[in-house]
Amino acid sequence: MMALLAQVAAFLAALWAAPHLGALWHALFPALARPTWDSQSWFTLLGEHLLLSLGAALIAAAIGLGAGIFATRGAGRALRPLLDAVFALAQAIPPVAVIALALPLLGFGAAPTLLALVLYAALPVMRSAVAGLDAVPPAVLDAARGTGMGRAGILARVELPLALPVIQAGLRVAVVLSIATTAVGAVAGASCLGTPIVVGLANGNTAWVLQGALFTAWLALIADRALRLGLRHGARG
Amino acid sequence: MIRFEGVTRRYGDRAVVDRVTLDVPDGSICVLLGESGSGKSTLMRMVNRLVEPSAGRVLVNGRDVTATDPETLRRGIGYVIQSVGLFPHWRVAENVATVPRLLGWEAARIATRVDELLALVGLEPGRFRDRFPHELSGGQAQRVGLARALAADPPLLLMDEPFSALDPGTRRGLQAELRTIHAETGKTILFVTHDVEEALALADTVAVLEEGRLAARGRPAELLERGTGAPVRRLFGEESLAFHRLATLPASTIARPEDAAGDLPILPAEASLKQALMLMLSEGSDRLAVPPTGEFPGGTLYWADLVRPA
Amino acid sequence: MPLRPALLAASQPAAAPSPPREATAVGLLAALAALAPFLLGWLSLAPNRLLSPRPAELPMGPELGLAMGGFLLACLLVLLLARRAALLPWAEAAAALALCALLATAGLGARAALEAASPMARAMPAAGVWVAMLLLALAAGSCAAGRGGTPGRFLALAVLGVGGLLATGLLDGLSVVHEAAARGPELRSAFSGHLALAGGALALALMVSVPLSLLALRRPRLEAALMGLANGFQVVPSLALFGLLMGPLAALAALWPALRDWGVGGIGPAPAILGIAAYLLLPLASSLLAGLRVASPALLDAARGQGMTEAGILRRLRLPLGWGVMLGGLRVAAVQAVGLATLAALIGGGGLGRLVFQGIGQMAADLILLGVLPVVLLSLLVDGLLAILQSGLEVAR
Repeated sequence: MMALLAQVAAFLAALWAAPHLGALWHALFPALARPTWDSQSWFTLLGEHLLLSLGAALIAAAIGLGAGIFATRGAGRALRPLLDAVFALAQAIPPVAVIALALPLLGFGAAPTLLALVLYAALPVMRSAVAGLDAVPPAVLDAARGTGMGRAGILARVELPLALPVIQAGLRVAVVLSIATTAVGAVAGASCLGTPIVVGLANGNTAWVLQGALFTAWLALIADRALRLGLRHGARG
Repeated sequence: MIRFEGVTRRYGDRAVVDRVTLDVPDGSICVLLGESGSGKSTLMRMVNRLVEPSAGRVLVNGRDVTATDPETLRRGIGYVIQSVGLFPHWRVAENVATVPRLLGWEAARIATRVDELLALVGLEPGRFRDRFPHELSGGQAQRVGLARALAADPPLLLMDEPFSALDPGTRRGLQAELRTIHAETGKTILFVTHDVEEALALADTVAVLEEGRLAARGRPAELLERGTGAPVRRLFGEESLAFHRLATLPASTIARPEDAAGDLPILPAEASLKQALMLMLSEGSDRLAVPPTGEFPGGTLYWADLVRPA
Repeated sequence: MPLRPALLAASQPAAAPSPPREATAVGLLAALAALAPFLLGWLSLAPNRLLSPRPAELPMGPELGLAMGGFLLACLLVLLLARRAALLPWAEAAAALALCALLATAGLGARAALEAASPMARAMPAAGVWVAMLLLALAAGSCAAGRGGTPGRFLALAVLGVGGLLATGLLDGLSVVHEAAARGPELRSAFSGHLALAGGALALALMVSVPLSLLALRRPRLEAALMGLANGFQVVPSLALFGLLMGPLAALAALWPALRDWGVGGIGPAPAILGIAAYLLLPLASSLLAGLRVASPALLDAARGQGMTEAGILRRLRLPLGWGVMLGGLRVAAVQAVGLATLAALIGGGGLGRLVFQGIGQMAADLILLGVLPVVLLSLLVDGLLAILQSGLEVAR
């Protein structure tokens, strides 16, 4: 826990320091005239990155969980083959392709990225919800019915708590995926930590690319670590 | 045949096998008996070098096992384990032929040998040769396991709780069959089990292990004599010790040499006193007729003799 | 295993077979696919390549009517065939037929519409056609859900059918086809570049993960390090990883200029291949280790007890028992490689991504499609081929 907080602090300190390290960037990239990224504040980019990825993850979690619950009971079971087909197809289409395809329809900016994020982050949540709910032993459900619980009660008090560890793992994948895909969204004009990378690539400014890449990777690693830690606490509590 | 000389195996600070010295004579069945964690499997696995001793040595036919490289050594020793370990992607015939193939036998010789062995373990070759392991019952699979261990005709068999996972009926059948095969082939067998009845049913000698140490050893009857040590009493259960003792004594020893009345239930001379007791209980008779066999002239067994302190 | 269908058939004798569990989903998708073009439009027209398209009427004619009728009939066929488990593969084939008829309708419509428009005008399928194509693909996928999820029959027939339509020139009116014809050589080089990127990265990742997995099999600390590294790579966004690799590789190339001749530098295929390979480490290493461990400890004990050598155990037990699992990992890795190679264009690595990003730059939908469609097709084909190989190996067991 302390290590994680220290890492967050170091990350924020590095974000603050980056624009003030002109000497360092000049030394590393002597050929470039403007090696320091200063067109936007790193904190603004971080905020936008988090808003977009976490917002999308939230929407995706709601959709994925709902679909997962729907597909494990009653009429929804008939749509299971469709879910399997969606998973298989989604695997074959990289997120950047969805962003690119949505671009002409939704225009430049965050919208195409948001669409791709929601689509791709919903899949692991849905899959883990289905797997977790499927894995609840029939004997437990039988016992719950035997004690006179209603359907909603069984779902809320028996099935979901038992499926929680699996669903949490799916949520972690969704958030990590969403943070990573947001960075790609920069090519479609979404403002985020990936923006310096894309702008740097377009202008041949490798210093901007390095700074953007460094912070994007760092954010992803911190998020992954925090989620793992959170899940372990959740599992214990 | 097999000789353990002050054998010790340590994992970290813990001695799983602790200074065991034991002889297993040629052609006998020696049962290593103990609870789980007593070191009996570890001791056995040192014979074919699946485990190496930390101290002491293991001799097979007077040769230190470490003098032979492990693969060659193992190809000359049959090995049967509880989970059978049949290779799931090979047919029964290929499984049985594992070691002959490793030894480079020619195909015709292997095929003859496989059929011979399947017949020996009571599986009709024509029906079972081409089956896959998942098409066998537990008992059939373990019969194949036994055939596989016997394939290259090794003089020595190591059996690690081979019948423990089978249901009681199948287990008793296989125990009897193992005795028959042993009588026919004269193999030396080192047999690990935690089941005291199995030990008594099979063993020429029993070696009791407790916490890695050899706690007692001897023929079943010797082991269960009155005044036996605490480890044996614990293992066999204080209150059923006398009952187990009956299982170690043949009925012929205490039959009175008098001609039996014609209507008494008949007990074979080689049956144990435990079986005699069972027959008396089930027939409601306090006497049994024991017909003559071999050197035994025949006689009558009395309830009073059975319950008299031996 | 082969006994099972016979047993099932015996247990439910003369009763009429109930629809398979796929029937509802497939029927629903086929019905929606048939409706989609009528609700969301068949055709869009744009005055030229760069202006945005407007919905357009479908100019009806006898040929067009025939194609449209074929499409509707094929959709109905999908719905009906899916009601019998034994006919599901045929439902999948019918979905491919529906897809071809749909494209033929759009192609014929585009040709007729362009006759009446200026030579600069472009015609493209409207949203309804795209949605219908997606729904048909999902219907085919649902048919195949019970058999591992890869609709191989649909893919093969659709590729053949669309290839045939292209060859007859029926689709020439569609702007994507127009664009493809105009950029033929560029498309071909992008495609082969894409294959080289994905194949190179897969080969590199295999060269690293195969020996490391074999070593890690019996060394827990090496395994922990390998899996930790592979997991770490997965977390880092691909764009960031490519960016991080540029600096060090540029420095290497500056130190040893000879490396440039090998294509190593900050920009180009080298950082892309390295980056993609890093992502493939996890699916490859984890499936290799899992595959090598399909042979249970008890089985290994038995094998060692019989006197098999470690090399013999690897060759006769671990590999034959683990092929299916290992190939599953290869399948995931290969599909990921094809997808990730799209991003390589951002750092000058070439591939189909170049068309995509050019298209994004010009906001030209046709160009984006020209890049994306082959990527999707390639992933589906790679997935399908490896799935066939995988099931072939499982049957051989």
